[in-house]
Parts: sequence; structure tokens; C-alpha cells
Amino acid sequence: MSPLKMLVDFLDVRLGVRDIFAKEVSGYLLPRRVNAWYTLGAVLLTLFGLQIFTGILLLVYYVPHADLAFASVQAIVNDVPFGWLIRMLHAVGANVIVIALLLHMLSVLFMAAYKGRREFTWLSGFVLFNLTMGLCLTGYLLPWSQLSFWATTVATDTPGAIPVVGDFLVEFLRGGATVGNQTLGRFFALHVVGMPLILLGLIGFHLFCVKRRGISTPPFGEDYLADELLPFFEHEEHPAGIPFFPNYVVKDAAVICFFLAFLLAIIFYLPGLFFPPSAFEPADPFVTPPGIKPEWYFLWAYQTLKIFPSEIIGLGVQGAFMTFLALLPFIDRGRERRPAKRPVFVTCYVLGILLFVAISIWGHYS
Amino acid sequence: MIRQTILCCGFLVVLVCGLLVSPAAAQQDETVCIQCHGGLPDALGVPVGEWRQSLHADNGISCHDCHGGDPTDFAMAMSPERGFLGAPDYTAVPEFCGRCHVGVLGDYQESAHGQALQAGGAQCVMCHGNHAVQKASLDLINPESCARCHDYERADKIKGILADTDGKIIAMEEELARLGKLGMAVEAFEGQLFDLRNRFHRAFHTVKEARVREQTGEVLAGLETLRAGVDEIDAGLGQRKLWGGVAIALLVLAGILFLQMRKTYEEDEKG
Repeated sequence: MSPLKMLVDFLDVRLGVRDIFAKEVSGYLLPRRVNAWYTLGAVLLTLFGLQIFTGILLLVYYVPHADLAFASVQAIVNDVPFGWLIRMLHAVGANVIVIALLLHMLSVLFMAAYKGRREFTWLSGFVLFNLTMGLCLTGYLLPWSQLSFWATTVATDTPGAIPVVGDFLVEFLRGGATVGNQTLGRFFALHVVGMPLILLGLIGFHLFCVKRRGISTPPFGEDYLADELLPFFEHEEHPAGIPFFPNYVVKDAAVICFFLAFLLAIIFYLPGLFFPPSAFEPADPFVTPPGIKPEWYFLWAYQTLKIFPSEIIGLGVQGAFMTFLALLPFIDRGRERRPAKRPVFVTCYVLGILLFVAISIWGHYS
Repeated sequence: MIRQTILCCGFLVVLVCGLLVSPAAAQQDETVCIQCHGGLPDALGVPVGEWRQSLHADNGISCHDCHGGDPTDFAMAMSPERGFLGAPDYTAVPEFCGRCHVGVLGDYQESAHGQALQAGGAQCVMCHGNHAVQKASLDLINPESCARCHDYERADKIKGILADTDGKIIAMEEELARLGKLGMAVEAFEGQLFDLRNRFHRAFHTVKEARVREQTGEVLAGLETLRAGVDEIDAGLGQRKLWGGVAIALLVLAGILFLQMRKTYEEDEKG
């Protein structure tokens, strides 16, 4: 008898793992028309797992102090065996997560998968997206480079535009009047403990919502039927569907492999893509580097603030847009999900993407 | 009621998230010298614009670092009590600049230029300029500049000796900048190059051909050592790319295999 079978037998007689596997994995049926876009959830889980793994390894050598942080990162990259790879997987991985998150959200929007009483799934996903942005922002400061320092100075300066409480908010975020060791301390705590704990809880809740309500059927094909909204809870079953394991897991695995290949391609062949020269200079509070810009995924917000005559109007517009997006399932109440039958939505969707890209490019070159 | 509460809570959460992630334009703090002189006309304001384009500005060397005074106090900014020195006389310029450029000062004072200072001989700003000072390069040695005082022939000879080494120093600077952009620890190399470049630039200030030849030889030997270090780093980076390529190819291959497996399942599903 193989050691694996012995282990499974051992667990099965105590926990009934074969029964769980049969019900929740191999017996879990997905809609027959489920497409490649549905793999992005598994891709994101893998990438978040990679972030946690590499983050723990980085914690072994990273020193969260303004006098030592930059040198510790330099030591990780140059002295620790494979430290450069761990650091790059973590830093570039964060950018790839944002790409995967955007694709995931865009696919959900296009297929209107937030419909059919899936408001909690959408909302938890939306908060997860914002939390990831927060993790990116707090992580950005930790290397304590010129880029980190000044990007954080600019980002934490923004709430100062809010009347009455603005100055208090800025000081609350920074832990003082300016970005300094106290800012690094609180960003570090948020980045490695606070936010990841909330993130893990939210991922669990998001997966629970997906599983409990049931995977939404792709709104394509002649046999597509709109969800029937009953006045009580109903789990959406797919009795004629395909087994999650192994039938769909192999597709998950394929897309995960392609994403990891994409991540490694950037690390090995375009290592400077997300790192301007100021990312490799130690932070100097007395010298502002020219042309400091936020990360590509914040460029739209950065440029929006510059378009309007006052920052508070820009902030209001951003807040209104994000609120609209968060509450979309509560606003868009129609049952129709097929893109071909929703021309107004699809037009807004395409224009929205183009606007996002255009404003980001404008922000990059402004 | 529940919907309104959800809407309000959602708005607040999203607004806070939006605020947290929204950057704004940076404002650079400026000294009172720049704030005041920047708005003045003619000779009192021109130096600010020139300085902004200078090597000193790039390296955070501001007005008060040379002219003294208090850069934080409008009223006392130009007070001798706060160490304000003002602009130096023509013959005091070498000592003025030499407070920081100590080595060059020594070589200059021993040179024919330094010896002729009191008689109107060349000093620092004649060749380097003052507020718009740029990174020293061989272009500073040219017929127009040198012929203002003497024949260009000797200067041209020295420039010829320096040219090859100067090119190698510039090439090494670019190499180290390239590696620095990849996160390589090149600070030690940059320190060595800084030292070599300074020794090299100092050599010219003696305006003595033999001394320049001797110093250039030492600098070239130092550059060879640096070249060996850079080559070693490049070899390591080349190996990384090789193994990275293998890892990427394996992942793509695995992805294709998984897709092929999916196809076989699709055939089963149709059946």
C-alpha cells in the first residue's frame, strides 16, 4: 500500500475526507459553458498565495526602520541567496495581481455575473480590490527608496484637501506631520498583519458567497436562461454541468501556468518595467526627485485630481465613481445579462475602459 | 431603510478607500533665498534660473551651501551673523570653491593658472561657470575658452592624453547606472569610480603633461579592476536569464499540456 493511500485512509476514517472530496470537488458541478474567464479566481488565489509565501521570506531579512530598511532590501537583493528572485516575485507579483484583479472584475461586469442575488459576492470582491490597492500602497513605502518616500508623501498628502478634517487625516495616516519612521512603522504593521488578515477573511467570505449561491452561468448561447429570482434563498445548481475536478481544474492549472510564465518573463527579461531609477536610491526627505509618479494603477486617480480646478472636486468625482461601482448590483436591477441585449451597458463599459486607459496615459506623460 | 443604510455605508467605505489611494502633485520645499531671488529681475534673479539647471542643484547643493546665511529666515538670510559671505572677489574664488573641492584646490594652486591668479590668471568660474556649473568634461578644454588667455597647443596635447580615459570613465558610469537600475549593489563600484574620476579631473588642474600621463595610467588600472567586477555581475545576470527562460518555457509547456487534457475532457463531456 502506498504511503499516500495510507495517509488518505488514515484521514478518511477520522474526517471522512473522501466524502468531502466527492461532494465538494469531483462532485461539484460547474455550468457547461463555463469559459476561461472563470479561471481568474484560481489565478488570483495562486498569486495571493505566492505573495504570502514570498512576503514571509522577505520578513526574515527586512528591517522596518527608516535607517535600515533600504539597506536591508539591498542586502536581500544582493546578498541573500535567491533574495532577488523572492523580492521580484513579491514586487512584480503585486502588479500582476492588479492586472488579474482588473480582468476578473471586467469579466464579471461584462457577463453581469453580479446579478441574480450575488450582491455580496460583488461587494466582497470590490472591497478585496480596494484592500489590494491598500496593500500595494503600504508595501510601496517599505523599501524606503526615493520612489517609496515621495510617492507616499504625495499619496498621504491628498486627504489634506478635505475641509475641516483634512489635516487631521494626513497626520493620522503619517503618524506625524511628515512621512518618517513612524509612517514606516504603521504601514509595515498594516501591510504584513492588519490588511492580510482582513484580506484572508474577505477571500474566505467571497469564496463562501460564490459557493453558497452557486457559480453564475455564462450569459451566452441559445440555451441560456436568465436567473429566476425567487422570494427565498436558492442555491444555483448545474445538474448537467461539468465536474470541477478534474475537468475544470486542468483549465485553471493551464491559465495559472500562463500567468506565472508572464510573471517570470517580466522578472527575467523586463526587470525594470515597474522600477524607475528612483526605486534604487535611498529615501532623502530633502531632495524631491523630478517627475515622481504613482504606480500605473493609480495614474487615473492622480490625473483626475489634476484635471479638476480643485482637489476636493477631483476627490468627490472619484468617490462618486467608486461608490457607483460598489453599488452597481443594487442599481442595475434588470434580469437581462446577455451583452448583446444590453447595448447601453456595453457602450458605457467600453467607453469606461478607454477612458481609464486614456487618463492613465495622460497621467503618465503629464 | 436597509437599502439607504447600505448605500450610506458603501459610500463612506468607498470614499475612504478612494482617499487612501489618491495621490496628488508634489510640492518641493524651497529656501527663502530661492523664494525671494526667484522673483527678482536681472542680475539678482538670473542666478536662480541658472542654478536650477546646474549640477549643484541636481546634488542638492543650494545657495547657502556656498554663500552662507540662513536659508530658513527671510529677515536674517543675508546676515553676517548667520554666516552670510556674499559673492567672492575674483582672486578669492579658488578658496571659495576649494572649501568643498579640496583636492582640486591644491593642484590648481600649484599650477601655472594658480600661480598667475593675482595677475588675472584663470580661476574656477572662468572655465566652469558659476551658478550654471555643469559636470566637468573634456569639452571645457577648447580653443575658444583657452585662447582667451594663451595659445591652445599645450591644452590640446593634454586633452589628447585625457580623451581615451575620459571615454572609458563615461562608459563605466553608464554601465554602473544600468546595473543600478536593475537593483545591483554597485555603490562600492560607484564610490571607486567617483574617486578615480576625481583623481583624473584633478590631474588636469596641474596643467603638467607628465603628471597627467602618470595619473591617467593609475586611473586606467583602476578602471580595469572595475571592469572585471562589472563583467562578473553581467555573467550572473546572463545565467539568470538562461534559467529564467527555461522556467518560462516549462510553465508554457505545462499550460499547453493542461489545455490538451482539458480538450480530452471536453470530448468526454460531449459523449
